Amino acid sequence: MIVIDKLCYRSRLRYVNASEKFLYTVVTLVICVAGRSPAAAAAAFAVNGILTVRKGGIPLSRYIKLLMVPLAFLILGSAAVIVNISKTPLDAFAFPVGDWYITGSRDSVTDGALLWAVALSAVSCLYFLSLNTTMTDILEVLRKLHVPPLLIELMLLIYRFIFVLLETASAITTAQKSRLGNRNYRTKVRAFGSMCSALFIQAFRRANALYDAMESRCYDGGVRVLSEEQPVSRKEICYIAVFEIILLAVTIGSRVI
Amino acid sequence: MPKKEKYLLRASIALAAVFAVAPASNAMHIMEGYLPAGYCVAWGLICLPFLIAGFFSLKNKVKENRRNLTLIAMSGAFIFVISSLKIPSVTGSCSHMTGTGLGAVLFGPASVSVLGIIVLIFQAVLLAHGGLTTLGANTFSMAIAGPLVSFGIYRLCQKMKINRRAGIFLAAFLGDLFTYCVTSIQLALAYPSEAGGVGASVVKFLGVFAPTQLPLAVIEGILTVVIVIGLETYAKPELKSIGFFKEKEAR
Repeated sequence: MIVIDKLCYRSRLRYVNASEKFLYTVVTLVICVAGRSPAAAAAAFAVNGILTVRKGGIPLSRYIKLLMVPLAFLILGSAAVIVNISKTPLDAFAFPVGDWYITGSRDSVTDGALLWAVALSAVSCLYFLSLNTTMTDILEVLRKLHVPPLLIELMLLIYRFIFVLLETASAITTAQKSRLGNRNYRTKVRAFGSMCSALFIQAFRRANALYDAMESRCYDGGVRVLSEEQPVSRKEICYIAVFEIILLAVTIGSRVI
Repeated sequence: MPKKEKYLLRASIALAAVFAVAPASNAMHIMEGYLPAGYCVAWGLICLPFLIAGFFSLKNKVKENRRNLTLIAMSGAFIFVISSLKIPSVTGSCSHMTGTGLGAVLFGPASVSVLGIIVLIFQAVLLAHGGLTTLGANTFSMAIAGPLVSFGIYRLCQKMKINRRAGIFLAAFLGDLFTYCVTSIQLALAYPSEAGGVGASVVKFLGVFAPTQLPLAVIEGILTVVIVIGLETYAKPELKSIGFFKEKEAR
């Protein structure tokens, strides 16, 4: 039901140690976002793409489609950065409209281009993590990072409930559709609203039932699950370290030049 | 200025046409990697006191009655599912609710801040809406600022004895608008305009996102009212147990 979640269970990199993947993602992200170097961004984008598609075995078409998800925000957001409306034309381009100019400076155009590079590389980092690591593994990493247990427990339960509720929601929607619940806009809105309230009631009942079930199995305020720990591979750590050092060098290098 | 606004409007309509083509979801999440590092950290720090307050409020609730844990988790999942479902939109583009207004009215702003950040993490990882580096900024606009305004307006309308449904509509509608304004300000602070500084940049970002966000806010308001009407009809005992109906009974 959630594409990314489905794909990550199929990934060939799924059983690589989750802490390694998490570390790689975070460090690369920080270098890309803090460094803002186009060369490093391109390198990270390429490596993440290769890792996810080649090594992870995520279909290329799916990957490209997923990269398009934030596209609208990127187009609109960078348009607002590049385009200025002012009385004096700037140096890159200027279209006169009445007394005003729709205009942009060279600096803002390069800024916009850089923004695209950095944002896309950052998104590829995020996808590397989410397309190759299951949510339960990510939670296990967070547990190791000493995130408060209450939060982890909540996340674990929420993650489980999301699918239960999505399934219910889609069943209700199908039922509504088969009864012409989406005949026109008015009925669509009403159908959506009543679906949500039905969903809320369902959620409530399930939560209570789940608590009863947990209590009858000696729930004492902690949800403990068995975690499958994959061993840390020295080779992979070395690869990650080498890559990050190169990335850092490229970033610093492009700063100096 | 009016002329400027006119052109802004035209430019934004042209951009909206682009938007209609792009296969997109248009909740106002700032995408991964869009904010410079300094701003990511700063917004994260600003969120911290709210999150800590929310965390302790949740902790107390769980301590009070352990049964609350599953309820809170269900509420979080409910907000996530509501905000991940495609809502009926006029233009046919695919849009989502933020769910913040509903969450704030039902569960109160303190629990929504923590639930909000969890939902945003899931949205980033599972749906690629928003991101990990922009988590702080998104949390502030969607899980703190928006819900606080929604809750404040809802309470205000109750005090002023304004029609309950109108109050809920206003709460969801204005909460959504406020989220969109805060996000625009966040973007403008990071990318001030060369001609006119941060102020001009705020106007630009507001203008660019207006064609998608204004109708969305209205739809969100209407849907929230429809959902609450449904809940009031069918889920009275449940609403009572989360404290939604207390004031009404007292009156």
